[in-house]
Amino acid sequence: MSKTNLAEDFEKNKMEDTIPAKDRIIAWPRMGRVDIPLKALLLSLGAKVVIPPPNSNEALEIGVRNSIEGICLPYKLNLANYIMALDKGANTLMMFQAPGSCRLGNYTKMAQKTLKSMGYEFDMVIFDMYKSKMKQTLHAFWHVTHCINPWRYYKGFSLGFNKFFAIDTAERLLFYTRPRELNRGDAEKCYNKWLKITDETNSVWQAKKLKKQIIEDFKKIPIDKNKKVPVVYLIGEFFVLLDPYTNQNIEKELGEMGVEVQRQIMFGDWLEHVLKPSIFYRKESHRERSVKYAKDYMKRAIGGECIETIGDTVYAAKHGVDGIIHISPFSCMPEIVAQNILPKVSKNEDIPVLSLVLDEQTGKAGYITRIEAFIDLIKRKQMRKS
Amino acid sequence: MNGELLYKKVGIPRAISYYNNYPFYYGFFTFLGIEVVLSDKTTTKIINEGCKYVVSDTCLPIKVFTGHVVNLLDKGCDVIFVPSIQSTGYKINNCSKIRGLPEIIRNVINRDFTMIEPTLDKTENISFRDFCRDTAKYFGITDEKSINNAIDAGWKVYNDFLEMTKSGVGYQEALNNAISGKVVKKSVDIVKPLSVVIMGHGYNLFDDRISMNIIKKLEKMDVKVYTSLNVSHQEAVDSIHNIGELQYWANELELTGTAAYYLLNNKVDGIIALSAFGCGPDSLMVDEMMYHCKEKGMPLIHLTIDEHTGEAGFVTRLEAFVDMLMRKKRSILNKQSAKTQKQTAEIVKIRDNKILTGSAK
Repeated sequence: MSKTNLAEDFEKNKMEDTIPAKDRIIAWPRMGRVDIPLKALLLSLGAKVVIPPPNSNEALEIGVRNSIEGICLPYKLNLANYIMALDKGANTLMMFQAPGSCRLGNYTKMAQKTLKSMGYEFDMVIFDMYKSKMKQTLHAFWHVTHCINPWRYYKGFSLGFNKFFAIDTAERLLFYTRPRELNRGDAEKCYNKWLKITDETNSVWQAKKLKKQIIEDFKKIPIDKNKKVPVVYLIGEFFVLLDPYTNQNIEKELGEMGVEVQRQIMFGDWLEHVLKPSIFYRKESHRERSVKYAKDYMKRAIGGECIETIGDTVYAAKHGVDGIIHISPFSCMPEIVAQNILPKVSKNEDIPVLSLVLDEQTGKAGYITRIEAFIDLIKRKQMRKS
Repeated sequence: MNGELLYKKVGIPRAISYYNNYPFYYGFFTFLGIEVVLSDKTTTKIINEGCKYVVSDTCLPIKVFTGHVVNLLDKGCDVIFVPSIQSTGYKINNCSKIRGLPEIIRNVINRDFTMIEPTLDKTENISFRDFCRDTAKYFGITDEKSINNAIDAGWKVYNDFLEMTKSGVGYQEALNNAISGKVVKKSVDIVKPLSVVIMGHGYNLFDDRISMNIIKKLEKMDVKVYTSLNVSHQEAVDSIHNIGELQYWANELELTGTAAYYLLNNKVDGIIALSAFGCGPDSLMVDEMMYHCKEKGMPLIHLTIDEHTGEAGFVTRLEAFVDMLMRKKRSILNKQSAKTQKQTAEIVKIRDNKILTGSAK
């Protein structure tokens, strides 16, 4: 087989086409709250969807059993999501890939092979997040639904985007309110309520109003405005940051300890930057900001979120943030490089950094102890300053 | 030309890209009039020194590299060549740690030294020529003609080296000969009862301390060893395509390409995969090869090494694997000889019958 032939075959393989569009039942791997907007998008394109159960110990066990030892944690959970979705009746799996970043580029191919060898029959639809992203994405969604009505695309994408922004806003407000609330649990309740409403919203008009309503509702929660709250940046690998199961709900733990968490990677922001054509994207993107701030330590991007990690740390130090918690899955290559660089950044910029490595065996107690000690350190440092 | 040079010496750590590209580097730098200083061979002390600087999750080759950089600094050489090889083809990238090698070294070693850190990134259209130009610029050489000549000189040494290794000359011998400008070829191929191919990165396999002399150990057990050096780049690329895979990682070609080449031509009895603990790309690629090996019925053993690997356990596993291969081969041969014996017996029987019945007349 010649080289070009194989490459073409591979391109074709990316969007398998054995099941007629009307029989497709679509599923995708879970990551945080991605399922709410994606569901809205696919439903408005007229597709049927299956949502795998949230990541849990059971899911992880399935993933670990069926994947190789050396692969990173996100893959194991992705694979478990696929298997659970296929068991629930899905026959089309969607996933994006970003070649050239890290092992993520191998995920889809490997999952495809593993699942086929397990005897499942399905179509895998992969879209590249490398170049001409919007075109690829649209093509992938056309491929799974065969929907040609532009109004439906408009509706789906604006619903999806607005839901992403609504969830991001709710999350940001939750992080702000949780350490300051007077009655413990108010913010969490409010957040869950809005998550449900966002999920149920079905018109573009209503979805556009969500953000404003969420802000107003969070304002009603009684908070102690004068409370001195240390601010911690949460940085690290994309998947573990966004998935509350994998990071053992670190945001909640920190919030309850009375710490305001700020997460630099928000899925909505990232998606907007990735999908919007560059002419319409006027803001300074997260990546650009990171490259600018990290230039004393790193001269080149090396894949994954390494440069974002370093850039955010420097940015945080320059903007009066009290501490950094850096989380990454075990054996994540870009984050190991970041871990090597962070001690120097921490010393030069005078900002405390705690690196946490997560794998399937991380005991929660030890994890909490380390976080508590770190928060004590930050508070003491704050006291010395004032 | 010497008068213009900013630095007269360059230190090359004996790790990572040294094992693949040193002949080129040597030819290139020597032509430009720059003296090449090498770090000492890997010892336990160098590994321990490297471990002091980087975090514990880092893989062994990077720790070794850091150790060698420190070794060079201790020797008094403060210009160190740390290339960042990002990608060797469109969307064919290296592992993050190799891409970010200068980044790691700059931030973990807090000493005063100059780092020569050119980038090779074909995805972003930084070609090999740019890489060499960039390197020369650090030394104050911008003359296009002398750079081109230096590149040619580098390729000459490198091609000599490859020619020798392709004919079966060992790594160290070929390297020494190439540097002194000689070309020696092995004319006689020794036939041994067993042959295996080791799939592993050059920096793991040809470093005597890291690989614990695996090649010599196997040769002592009367096993012929093939490595990535016996397969040319084109053969490796073709084999990967023939086996039905697309190359994704840049420096995994020396693993998968070699294994695929020998898997397809059935020249070997078994495959030994040698990889460092925590190596991300290796974990995927060894698994990929394992899948193909299962299809073809080729035995494969995956040996993982780290800085603590005990030599005794390592040897035991190797011996067991070789024993297993031997038994397999013997049983195949026995079956074949039994088959031929049976066939001859049948022929004899038929002949006898014919004689008895008289039809032979």
